[in-house]
Amino acid sequence: MSTQVHATLTEETVRQIADDLDEPEWLTEKRLEALDALDDLGMPHVIRTPGRDWTNLADLDYETLVDPISYAEEKDQVGPDEVEVLAISEALDQREEVVREAFGSVIDPQENYLTALSTALFSTGTVVYVPEGVDAEDVTIRTTMNSRSLFNYTLVVTEESSSVTILERQESGGDVAGDRYYSGVVEIAAGKNTQVQYGSLQDLDQDTYVYTRKHASASRDSRVDWIEANFGGRLTKAGVETDLDGEGTETNILGAFYGIDDQHIDVDARVWHNAENTTADLTTRGVLDDEARSVYEGVQNVGREAWRTNSYQREATLMLSDESEADASPKLIINNHDTEASHSATVGQVDPQDLFYMTSRGVDEDRATDMLVEGFFVPILDAVEVDELREDLTAAIRERLRS
Amino acid sequence: MSSEEHLKQTDTEERFEFKKEQRAAVTSGKGLTEETIRLISEDKGEPDWMLERRLRALRLFEEMPMPTDWPGQPDLSELDIEEIVPYIRPDVEARDATNEWDDLPDDIKDTFDKLGIPEAERKALSGVGAQYESEVVYQNMQEQWEEKGVVFMNMDEAVQEHEDLVREYFMTSCVPPSDNKFAALHGAVWSGGSFVYVPEGVTVQMPVQAYFRMNSEGMGQFEHTLIIAEPNSEVHYIEGCSAPKYAAHNLHSGGVEVFVKEGAHVQYSTVQNWSRNTYNLNTKRAIVEEDGTMEWISGSMGSKATMLYPCSILKGRNATDNHITIAFAGEGQDIDTGAKVYHNAPRTKSTIESKSISKDGGRTNYRGLVHISDGAEHSSTAVECDALMFDNESTSDTMPYMEIQESTVDVAHEATVGKIGDEDVFYLQSRGLDDDDAKQMIVAGFIEPITEELPIEYAVELNRLIELEMEGSLG
Repeated sequence: MSTQVHATLTEETVRQIADDLDEPEWLTEKRLEALDALDDLGMPHVIRTPGRDWTNLADLDYETLVDPISYAEEKDQVGPDEVEVLAISEALDQREEVVREAFGSVIDPQENYLTALSTALFSTGTVVYVPEGVDAEDVTIRTTMNSRSLFNYTLVVTEESSSVTILERQESGGDVAGDRYYSGVVEIAAGKNTQVQYGSLQDLDQDTYVYTRKHASASRDSRVDWIEANFGGRLTKAGVETDLDGEGTETNILGAFYGIDDQHIDVDARVWHNAENTTADLTTRGVLDDEARSVYEGVQNVGREAWRTNSYQREATLMLSDESEADASPKLIINNHDTEASHSATVGQVDPQDLFYMTSRGVDEDRATDMLVEGFFVPILDAVEVDELREDLTAAIRERLRS
Repeated sequence: MSSEEHLKQTDTEERFEFKKEQRAAVTSGKGLTEETIRLISEDKGEPDWMLERRLRALRLFEEMPMPTDWPGQPDLSELDIEEIVPYIRPDVEARDATNEWDDLPDDIKDTFDKLGIPEAERKALSGVGAQYESEVVYQNMQEQWEEKGVVFMNMDEAVQEHEDLVREYFMTSCVPPSDNKFAALHGAVWSGGSFVYVPEGVTVQMPVQAYFRMNSEGMGQFEHTLIIAEPNSEVHYIEGCSAPKYAAHNLHSGGVEVFVKEGAHVQYSTVQNWSRNTYNLNTKRAIVEEDGTMEWISGSMGSKATMLYPCSILKGRNATDNHITIAFAGEGQDIDTGAKVYHNAPRTKSTIESKSISKDGGRTNYRGLVHISDGAEHSSTAVECDALMFDNESTSDTMPYMEIQESTVDVAHEATVGKIGDEDVFYLQSRGLDDDDAKQMIVAGFIEPITEELPIEYAVELNRLIELEMEGSLG
């Protein structure tokens, strides 16, 4: 790897973070293994076409972006009484076995260079534990990043026949000049017959390089829904995936992004149909203005044993500026013929007819465009179950409108 | 006898799978060295500049790595280029291609008779070329087109007779050898193929056809096709390919370059039925000027592995591209095919229609790229991919890539994958069809939007090949 952070990243640094959290030795071992593996790991997969890398991670200088032992942040971790919403150190104290069993079980800490870096260095985190039979709404995890770099870890474990809705939000704070780096790893282990909706709004400032990796494993008859909104960051690489591991499982992945200035937003949505009778619906809507660039990869992977699969994917990008660029690659990998699968992707500008209709009613053009852009996100907003997330999303959209 | 009857009455084995004794005047031996290249060039009596181009391509080939990092790409590990014989000049008395069938040796004539080439020429074509191993052995064009200045000759002859044109257009701006490893290989060892030149304003009303046949075990065929359509001209070129099956692998790595000038219209149709020991790795590309139209129609039925993505570069305003592609993968086949379109000028338009069928463990993949450059205002592209799967051993992938750098565009991609419908089969069975006939009828309906775009002779041929695939009687 050309991008090494060895100058600041040593076993000593890792042990210092571990001491601060007062964590058990097994976790520190995992961190050190990840640290050792860094040299051999590559960057996350990015799409290449002849002569072009859709996202360039190899040139990022992590050494200047990462300051591993300064990790100032503010965090709200709240939820209703019947569900346990714990800071990572509390969780390791009160629910060590749950964490030990689930940690790294959905996302391999050594999947790539950046997941390993996150595993070695995460200094903050949240564990949401939903006991059997509990239905909980509106768990909220808010992180304000006040440091140069921050490595955040979230684990959601739902026991049989429970349900939960979660809102996660990242914002920038503090007075840090220059480039910053945020890394967030989210694992969800959804138990039998459970329902999880995990909504996330990433709205970090435009000096921040962002890597997030979210992955759920769905057990029999469970359902995991994601809302993945990426608005902030200078360069964002965000991946959200569901493994439909149990029979009768379902996932909806709803994505939204809105790039302005010279933002680069790379989002991947992937579903793995690994069992019979599974259903997936992937919908992403994005808007690009100024010189922003988006990269979208959507993968519907139907395994050999995934009989009776239904899998759908739609992606739409609205381009408001000629200087922006939208790249998209929706992929179907189908290994079982007992499948109904489709995908579609569209790119275009605001419908000139709609615009004409509105301007002819006396609405000026910028305002009319804004209204159409807001309307474009409605299918995503309507699916959000946590009111606060819907309000935050709406506010984030309005902030970026032209008038 | 109509062509359809003719084809139906011809036994499959007899039509494609027959083998002839190898007849070679010159063979290069296996492998690839500078010496091989010099031997080929000398045997052809080529000018120095062409030898230089070959040697440069060889150096590029040696430098470039095998493509291994494409997601889901066909396995090329069994392909050993050192084991391929790149050049076999058949032992035909006339050094240059004859224009009389009767001049051909009996076994070669018999080969093309079985493939239905003279039959097709009489019925529906303006001109025919036939390549056996590395050389074109027969080439003929109707006089009426020759009188209008249309040129249709084998590529080796064109190097001599149209040296200036070939020197300007051959693997320079369209498919440079640096494009990919197999384009470099092609540039080093190319032999045979067609040169087509259509003067300004001339419409060649009936298609011209070339048929490529590999007969020898372990050989590589590297024919080069160069088509230059001057402004406001029109031509339809058809290419057919086949080979008998051997234990050793054959390699087909053709190069196709098409220049569509202002207002010209070129259609390039291929029905590929290489044997299932053939690696089919081609580079085909067109540069389309203002108001020009390029149409690629490709049927990929044969081969062990195919990697083929015909490309149009829409360089002038209002240039248009249409792609129609059908892939059918049976047992042991990996058909990785699709399309590439670069929209480099305003008001350019492309449509891509892909239909694929996988059966008995075969894999099909649609792999496509649409690029709309900054400045290509008011361009539009529509991509539609449909795939049909017969069974649970097969695989059907779809991998489109879109790069959009302009906002006033209309970009749409749609894809569906499904199994052959039990209800449809049941309905047809209840009307008295047996299971196989019902499935054949459903497949014929599935690809109909494409076959109806083909000249009737080829629609019939394609349907017949698909029927043969369905019967499992090929390969």
